[in-house]
Amino acid sequence: MIDRIEQLLERVEKPARYTGGEMNTEVKPIAQAEVSFAFCFPDTYEVAMSHLGMKILYDILNALPYAVCERVCMPWIDMLEGMRRENIPLFSLESRTALNRFDIVGFTLQYEMSYTNILEMLSLGGIPVKSAARVESDPIVVAGGPCAYNPEPLHAFIDAFMLGDGEEVIVKVTDAVHDGRKQGLARLEILRRLAGIPGVYVPAFYSARYHGDGTLQSFDPIDAAAPATVTKCCVADLDAAAYPGAIPVPYTQIVHDRIMLEIMRGCTRGCRFCQAGMLYRPVRERSVDRLLQLAEQLVDSTGYEEISLSSLSSGDYSKLSELCQKLMERFASRRVSISLPSLRIDSVVGDSLAQTQKVKKTSLTFAPEAGTQRLRDVINKGVTQTDLLSRLREAFEGGWNSVKLYFMIGLPTETQADLEGIAHLAREAVNAYYAVPKGQRAKGLRVTCSASVFVPKPFTPFQWNAQDTMETVRAKQAELRRMLNLRGVTFHWHDPSVSLLEACFAVGDRRLADVLYRAWELGCRLDGWSDQFRYDLWMRAFADCNLDPAFYANRERGAQELLPWDFIDIGVTKAYLRLEAERALRAETTPDCREGCNGCGIERIEGLCTICG
Amino acid sequence: MIVVFEKGLVLRHIGHLDLMRSIQRALRRSGLPVRYSNGFNPHIQLSFASPLSVGVAGMREVMDIPLESECDEAEFTQTLARAMPAPLKVRRARAVPDTFPTLMALVAGSNIRMELDAGQAADAVAAALPPFMASDDCVALRKTKSGENSTNIRPFVTQASVEPSGTGYTLRCVIANRAEGSLKPSVLMKALCDLAGVEAVPYLAYRDAILARAGDGALIALEEYPYV
Ligand code: SF4
Repeated sequence: MIDRIEQLLERVEKPARYTGGEMNTEVKPIAQAEVSFAFCFPDTYEVAMSHLGMKILYDILNALPYAVCERVCMPWIDMLEGMRRENIPLFSLESRTALNRFDIVGFTLQYEMSYTNILEMLSLGGIPVKSAARVESDPIVVAGGPCAYNPEPLHAFIDAFMLGDGEEVIVKVTDAVHDGRKQGLARLEILRRLAGIPGVYVPAFYSARYHGDGTLQSFDPIDAAAPATVTKCCVADLDAAAYPGAIPVPYTQIVHDRIMLEIMRGCTRGCRFCQAGMLYRPVRERSVDRLLQLAEQLVDSTGYEEISLSSLSSGDYSKLSELCQKLMERFASRRVSISLPSLRIDSVVGDSLAQTQKVKKTSLTFAPEAGTQRLRDVINKGVTQTDLLSRLREAFEGGWNSVKLYFMIGLPTETQADLEGIAHLAREAVNAYYAVPKGQRAKGLRVTCSASVFVPKPFTPFQWNAQDTMETVRAKQAELRRMLNLRGVTFHWHDPSVSLLEACFAVGDRRLADVLYRAWELGCRLDGWSDQFRYDLWMRAFADCNLDPAFYANRERGAQELLPWDFIDIGVTKAYLRLEAERALRAETTPDCREGCNGCGIERIEGLCTICG
Repeated sequence: MIVVFEKGLVLRHIGHLDLMRSIQRALRRSGLPVRYSNGFNPHIQLSFASPLSVGVAGMREVMDIPLESECDEAEFTQTLARAMPAPLKVRRARAVPDTFPTLMALVAGSNIRMELDAGQAADAVAAALPPFMASDDCVALRKTKSGENSTNIRPFVTQASVEPSGTGYTLRCVIANRAEGSLKPSVLMKALCDLAGVEAVPYLAYRDAILARAGDGALIALEEYPYV
C-alpha cells in the first residue's frame, strides 16, 4: 500500500514543503532518543526555514547525545484540509512522527498573527489545545522567541515559556523534562521543576485579577515553585555560545536562502518604538576570528553561494570593514558573495558599502521611519535629513537605481506635517537620482515607500501609547497615496485591521486567550497571509468574549497601570522606559549608549553590559 | 564527467530547477574542480540528460559535469556522494572527453516503471494494457509548450508489460522520445485509466533508466553510450 501521506502529497499544491530530506537534516533515529523535541514553527515551511533561531536551537538540541530534535511546520490550507479529512496527524519533517508522540513540543513565537496556527498545529497533532486539558501522556508544550515577552494571550495553551536567549535555557528545559520523565514524575511536578529554571514562566502557577474598568489589578504566583519575577536569560559571551557549523539546506527556494551569520546581538541606538532594541540588550559582538571560522564551516557544509551578515544593526559592528574584507578575501575564489541586510543610513559603512557593491548590486534599504526631524527625535531615530540625503546621493552615484524607504504612520505625537514630510523625503530621493548626470546613473529609478502602522510593543517607551483607530489610519493612508503619486515612486501600505490585531495581541492580557480560542474555533488560521485573514471572524470572536479590541489597541495606558508583562525583568527597567517615554513627548533625544551609559537598567547586573562594564 | 545518480522517491516533488540548484550546492560542498560560468553571477556548469517530470522518482538519472582538471572516477564518485543529501545517491561517474556528444542529443527514450496499489482499479488498469498495446492509436491530452494538445500517445510506448507484484501490479514500459517530445508517465496512466473506465489508481512512478540508441540501433543505457 502506498502510504496515506504520500497519496495526499500527490494532491497538494507544494508537496516539497512536507517531504524533508534536506542536506544536514539527517538526525539520529528518534526511536533511540531518550528525549524528543518537536521544534514547531507556526508558519509555512518557507518562512520557517528562513529563521535563524530555529537553526541554532535545532543544532544545539541534536548535539545532545540523549536528545533528538525534529522540525514541524504549519501546513498550508490544502494540506491541512487533506490531513483532517484523512485523519493524518501533524507530523515532523524528519521521521514523520506525530506531534503528540514527542516529549516536548516547542513553538517559536515570532509574530502575533501566527498565534492561531499554534492552536491549529496542536489540535492537528493530537494534543489538547488547552494546557489544562492535557494528561500525563501528552507532551510538555513550551514556547520562546520575541513574542514570549508578553506571553499572556497564550497563557492557556503553552505549559511553559522561555524568556530571552534560548541557547542555554532550552537545554535546561529539555534536561528537566528528560529527568522528570525518567523519574516518573507527574506532569505537575515537571512543570514545578521548569518554573524553577531562571527565565522560565509557567502560567498555570500565576493568577490575574482585574479592576472594574478592565485594567489589571494584581498578578501573583499561586504556587511555591513560581517566582514573583521572571528574569530573561542572557548569553553573556557570543563567542562561547553555540552556533551551528551546519544548517539545513532546503531544496526549494525559501525566503532567506543563504547563510546567515549573526555578527552581533542587541543594539545600542535606543529607537523608542523598537522592541528588539530593548529586549536584546546588552549589545554583544562575535569576534572576527570566530565569524571567519563559522563562515568557513558553513560554506563547506551547505554549499551556499551567499553569506548574509545578520544583526539588528550590522553597520554598528565595530570591525565591519575588517570582517567584510577578510570574508571576501577568503571566499572570492569560491564565488561566495557577502551581503549586509539591514544597512542603516547613519552607519559608517563607506568602505564596506563599496565592497558589497563589488559583489552584488541589490536594492538599498533606508529606514528613516518618520517624515520630519521633530518626529524622528520623538522616536529617537538618530538620523538627520542631511545624512539621509547624502546617503541617497552616494547610492545613486554608486550605481544603485532602486531604494526602499521605510516609514511608520500613527507614531505618538504625529501631525499633518509629519505625513507631508514622508512625501517630501520621497521627492528628495527622486531629485537626488536626477541630480546624477544621465549616463553616470543606473537606468530606471525605483523608489519604494513603505508605511507600516505603529503598533505599541511591550518593553518599549511606547508601551503605554495608543494605536490610531482604523479610521484614522485609513485617512492617513489615503492622503499619503495622494501625495506619493509620483513618477518612479511606489507606495506600499499595511492593512490597518491586521495592525489592530497585532496591537491587541502585543499588549493584551490573559483574557485574550479566550478570543484567540474563539477565533480559531470560528476558523481563523494563517492570519499572517492576507488571503486567509478574516477580520469579520476576529471581530465576532471579540464580541463573543465580551471584549473590545479598542480597549487594548486604541487606549492610552496610565503611567501607574499594572501591565500584563510587568512580572518579567528584561534587564531594562520600567522606570527607564518611562523616562524615555517622557523624553519622547518633549522630542528630546537620548544618545547612543556607546557615547556613555544611559542607565537603562542592564548595568544593575555586574559585568553584563559590554559597554559600561 | 558523466554522473549517474538516483533522485529518490522522497524527492519526486522537487522540480528541475530546484534539483539543479541543490546539485550545484552539493558540488560546491564537495570541493571538486567544477567549472563556473562567466558573468556577474557565476554558477557551476551542469547539464542534465533529460529533465524528470515532477512526481516521478529517478533511479538512474544522468548529468554531465564539466571539470577544470581531470579526476579519478572512483574518487569523484566518493567525494560527490559524501556531499549529496541522503535522498540523492551517486551511482557512478564516468570520465569522458569534452568532445563527448551532449547528453540531451543522445536521449532516445526511457524505461518507466509504475507500481500500482492492489485493488479493483489496478485490476482494470492492468487488464487495459494489452488492448492498449494491440491498438494503433490512443488519443490523449498532452501538455506542450503551445498548450494542451490532443496527441496519439500510442506510438510513444514501444514496449510494455504488466505483472503482479507484492503490493499490486508492476507496469513496465519503454517510452520513446519523438519529434514532438516525450510522454509523461502520468499522461499514460490517465489514458489507461480512461480505457479501463476507472477514475484513478494509486501508483508511484519511476524512471529506471534513460536510454540512448547505439550504433546498431539497439537501446542502451545512456551512460553506456560509447565514445568514438
Ligand atoms: S547599561 Fe548603559 S551602556 Fe549598557 S545597554 Fe544599558 S544604557 Fe547602554
